[in-house]
Amino acid sequence: MSSLQQYGLLLALVVGTVGFILLIYAISRFFGKARQEPGKDVPATAGQLSRDPVWVRYHARYYGYALLFLAFDMEMAYMYPWAVVYKQVGIVALLDMGVFLAILFLGLLYGWSQGALRRQ
Amino acid sequence: MNTLVILFFLLLGAYFVAVLENWISKGRFQLSAPLYAAVAFLGRESFIPRKPDQIFYEVGPVLLLLSAVLAAAVIPLTPDLIITDLATGALFINAALVYVLVALLMAGWGPDGAYAMIGGWRFLGQLIAYAMLIVMPITAVAMRAESLLTTQIVTSQLSLWNIAYQPLGFALFFVASMALAFLPPFNMMIAKGELAGGVEAEYSGMRLGIFRLGRLVLIVTLAAATVIFYLGGWQGFYLFGFELPPWAWSTVKILIVTMAMLLIGRYMPRIRETHLLSWCWMIGIPLALLNIFVVGVLVLEFP
Repeated sequence: MSSLQQYGLLLALVVGTVGFILLIYAISRFFGKARQEPGKDVPATAGQLSRDPVWVRYHARYYGYALLFLAFDMEMAYMYPWAVVYKQVGIVALLDMGVFLAILFLGLLYGWSQGALRRQ
Repeated sequence: MNTLVILFFLLLGAYFVAVLENWISKGRFQLSAPLYAAVAFLGRESFIPRKPDQIFYEVGPVLLLLSAVLAAAVIPLTPDLIITDLATGALFINAALVYVLVALLMAGWGPDGAYAMIGGWRFLGQLIAYAMLIVMPITAVAMRAESLLTTQIVTSQLSLWNIAYQPLGFALFFVASMALAFLPPFNMMIAKGELAGGVEAEYSGMRLGIFRLGRLVLIVTLAAATVIFYLGGWQGFYLFGFELPPWAWSTVKILIVTMAMLLIGRYMPRIRETHLLSWCWMIGIPLALLNIFVVGVLVLEFP
């Protein structure tokens, strides 16, 4: 199979799964609609009506980790091609990536020492 | 044909996970319970909250199921039984499973309910903790296989399974995949005793049914991924003079991994995402980097 066919198959899988879900929704709808009753459509907040707006800004207390995560996630994108050719290239690849990872690890240690790894 | 067989396998797996989960967490072994639950979902009211973000609310459960199914598409059960053997298979599993986060955030944001919203944010924190521990062990697996093809990753374990070759990577991947599937003890975002169900709180009827189905399929997919990355996939050995066919080996291993995941959750207290973050970044990631280095040396010395 060519790679275009493979991705076509994956697209068909997506369409098929969505179709399956829509079919199930349709069967479920066939059994009847939801009855409209007062207070039923209020989001759950411990028995009270939802008072405060929910779509507001939140303090993401893990933002220190999140910034480090961005750096690490980008780096992992480079690791995959390296991992595939690793055995062919041999010890040179290990040293190259060793230096790269060491610098990255130093970055982690630096962030740790500056207090990035805690709930802010 | 392969596609249908694998999809059927996923559905059957979801059914067994539901039975096992009921057995392990509630002590009731009922083979018919998931079927009754599924039929009951069909008949239940599915009402939507007052002012939802309509698109996010509807897409959330669908995307959860989709990401699990797509990740399963590149997982081989036997050498030939695979939907599509993508050249970037191991990376594709990652890419598909990231949408679990997107699905939960959408499902949390959509209904405009405080509990659901907090559940969604909790899962975002959990992603930042576990994501590196999914990616880095897979890199070490790919180093040994010299390929991202999932079938090749399995055949690279012919002499020695990866669980023995890189046990550290297996431990990290196993824990991280439990966090990814938000299984207990990492289920702060959907647990019944937390936030009245968290992300699930505003869903009802068949939408909730699809959400639950997506979660079960996700567990099967992750157990299957663990099996092909670390437990030698379809490879088996002679057992009391018998030789099981490859698909049976895959099935047995996936069942064992699922059981292990569920059993561990049974005996652990729930873990907050704050604690998970600090453990993963202070202990997990240094260990994962060490794992890459150790495997790097091992691959050159004893391939």
